[in-house]
Amino acid sequence: MRARRRTSGRRSPLWPLLALPGAVWLALLFVAPLYVVLAIVFGGVDPVFRTPLPVYNPLQWDATQFTGVFSHIIGPNGYFGPALLRTAVYVGTASLLCLLVAYPVAYYTARLAGRHRRLLLALLIAPFWISYMMRMLAWVNLLQTDGLVNRALSLGGLYSVQIDWLNGRSLVVVLGLVYGYVPYMILPLYAGLDRLQPHMLEAARDLGAGRFDTFRRVTVPLSVPAVIAAVLLTCLPMLGDYFTSDLLSASPHTAMVGNLINNTVLTPGQTGQAGAFVLLVLVVSLVPMLFYVRSARSEGLAS
Amino acid sequence: MPDEPPPRRTRPIPRRTFIGRMGLAAFGGPALLEALAACAKSTPSSGSSTPGSTAAALTIASPSTPVTWPVHKDDLIADGLTPEKGATLQLYNYADYIGPHVVKAFEKKYAAYNVKVRVSTFNDTDEALTKIRTGKSGFDMYFPSYDQISKMVSASLIRPLNHSYIPNITNVWPQFSDPWYDGGWHYTVPYTVYTTGIGWRADRITADIGPMANPYDVFWDPAYKKRDAVIDDWHTAMAMVALRAGLTDINSTKPADIATIQTQMLDMQAKTDPKVTITMYNDLPAGQMDLAQMWSGDVVNAQYYLPKGVKPDVLAYWFPEDGKGMVDNDLMVILSQGKNPVLAHLFVNFMLDTKNALDNFGYIGYQPPQNSLSPAQTISDGYVPKNLGTAVVKQEWFTQGYRLLELPPDADAAWHEVWQRFKAGA
Repeated sequence: MRARRRTSGRRSPLWPLLALPGAVWLALLFVAPLYVVLAIVFGGVDPVFRTPLPVYNPLQWDATQFTGVFSHIIGPNGYFGPALLRTAVYVGTASLLCLLVAYPVAYYTARLAGRHRRLLLALLIAPFWISYMMRMLAWVNLLQTDGLVNRALSLGGLYSVQIDWLNGRSLVVVLGLVYGYVPYMILPLYAGLDRLQPHMLEAARDLGAGRFDTFRRVTVPLSVPAVIAAVLLTCLPMLGDYFTSDLLSASPHTAMVGNLINNTVLTPGQTGQAGAFVLLVLVVSLVPMLFYVRSARSEGLAS
Repeated sequence: MPDEPPPRRTRPIPRRTFIGRMGLAAFGGPALLEALAACAKSTPSSGSSTPGSTAAALTIASPSTPVTWPVHKDDLIADGLTPEKGATLQLYNYADYIGPHVVKAFEKKYAAYNVKVRVSTFNDTDEALTKIRTGKSGFDMYFPSYDQISKMVSASLIRPLNHSYIPNITNVWPQFSDPWYDGGWHYTVPYTVYTTGIGWRADRITADIGPMANPYDVFWDPAYKKRDAVIDDWHTAMAMVALRAGLTDINSTKPADIATIQTQMLDMQAKTDPKVTITMYNDLPAGQMDLAQMWSGDVVNAQYYLPKGVKPDVLAYWFPEDGKGMVDNDLMVILSQGKNPVLAHLFVNFMLDTKNALDNFGYIGYQPPQNSLSPAQTISDGYVPKNLGTAVVKQEWFTQGYRLLELPPDADAAWHEVWQRFKAGA
């Protein structure tokens, strides 16, 4: 610690300057919009058009819309509660499934693929070239009653398979999320596993650990930061996702918090509520983020 | 078939196109910011001085309380002006809710003035009004329903029509030259008419829904669980629930009525878990649902989405024969922010021309209220398949049918809350 402080005292004025573009970017595109969201949430509503009237002076803020949303989360009138709980379950399950798929793939690519790893990596990035929405629309076609999935399950017409995949099934929405976000999981995992020092693994082997033990006692613990980063990176966009449920289900029984935001944001008189949901998601996602930053920092200090 | 079949697209995508809606923004956040940017202009204290914000209470028009909006003479354009030269006429409309070949024909007709037409699209009229209110979009024409007229007039967003440019008004059903929502047609001309009923797959549902005592009951019949859908529009879906419950005032402001609607909505959700979507024109023919609340124009379009080898006669549509269901019409209005008012007037007149209106009908599937188009002709000329004759809109229904009206702000909030609850899927 002491050594750190001493070096920071001699810092050249150039270094803070380098942070300026990033800081300006953050201020313009994150802090300022966030303040507008606050001004909307705690602002008023036009009496005729019922559009939001932002109030920028915090002294005049009115918490009616904000508390309105929160009073509908739990209790007898808590009709937002189930959707929020559902979001947590969907995002949690989907992240776990993503991890189950992504970890072996990333591990293989980083450690075992040998000379094919560049090609493999390129292939893994390939889904990024197609927009998320287009990939979901493709699934709509595949999952239709007369679509390829049912035809494949019928083993070439041997059985009659008439599963209505798209009629509002939680499983389909969760699998849609997994499919959509798994590439975002693979890349940070790959980066983390690729950085593992080979001599650590060699040391473990030299000390008598078998392949599996090396993996369990060295690789896995060392990859925890990468796993946390990867899970955060996929959870955050999943929390805001609404079109996976809209496209693959369209039933209110699979609505997530993203759907609540999308439904309210352009509804006359409810834009402030959409802002309240945005704040809720922000707070919920900030907590693990802070935890991650803290753990990453203490790790940096320890090493 | 007639000698000259109407021009048709092979795969029409009707209004309220889903992809467009999805493309609005990837996540809720950006969409919110968009809305915020659009409305950041007005402040609570700005009163009625700035365009797009009003402090006065809203006058709400209804068939029983017709309204004639005031016209300021200064806002009218003079008679006999020449069209703007080298101009780009900007239309603001639902996706695929105007035939591209009709737009081309207009450009060709006024080629001497080097006219271009550009169509911009919106996903729903709430979004559109928000954008129009920023005052900077420069759109010349807008295609709303009548439920936004009072807002647009009171905020001076639309321009009064100079009737001398629009002789073709005589081509449309006479009630539209003196409608209750715009007495003396000072601001609006009709664009399309449509009904809201029930569409279903006759090959998958054996019951004949039409003759049932209360056809709306099907949405509460567990036999159709997860096979049905309602329209993703709060008022349209909730009004159907009101009609099923025997409430004929589909614009009720009574808390008891709204409570009844809420109970029935949640009951429907528990019994059949309907999808809430606007893509029934695709999903019904594709076999993803067997039963749906539908607009007549969408069921007409559904025939083009049937899988190969499936004939349109698998589609069926019900609307009450006595006309006591939801009937609606969309409008053409000229926006005050547009820079080409003369061309806009000429475009309105062009779209009311019978030939152009029918060309457009062939593309969008939504019927124009043209005098010369008889219900029988819509079928004999191939605009509507014979088995969907119930989707043809009859003129007399516009006196008996129920109309979706603007609601006073308090009631509007109450209705929206029920809808919000329904859509949260609690």
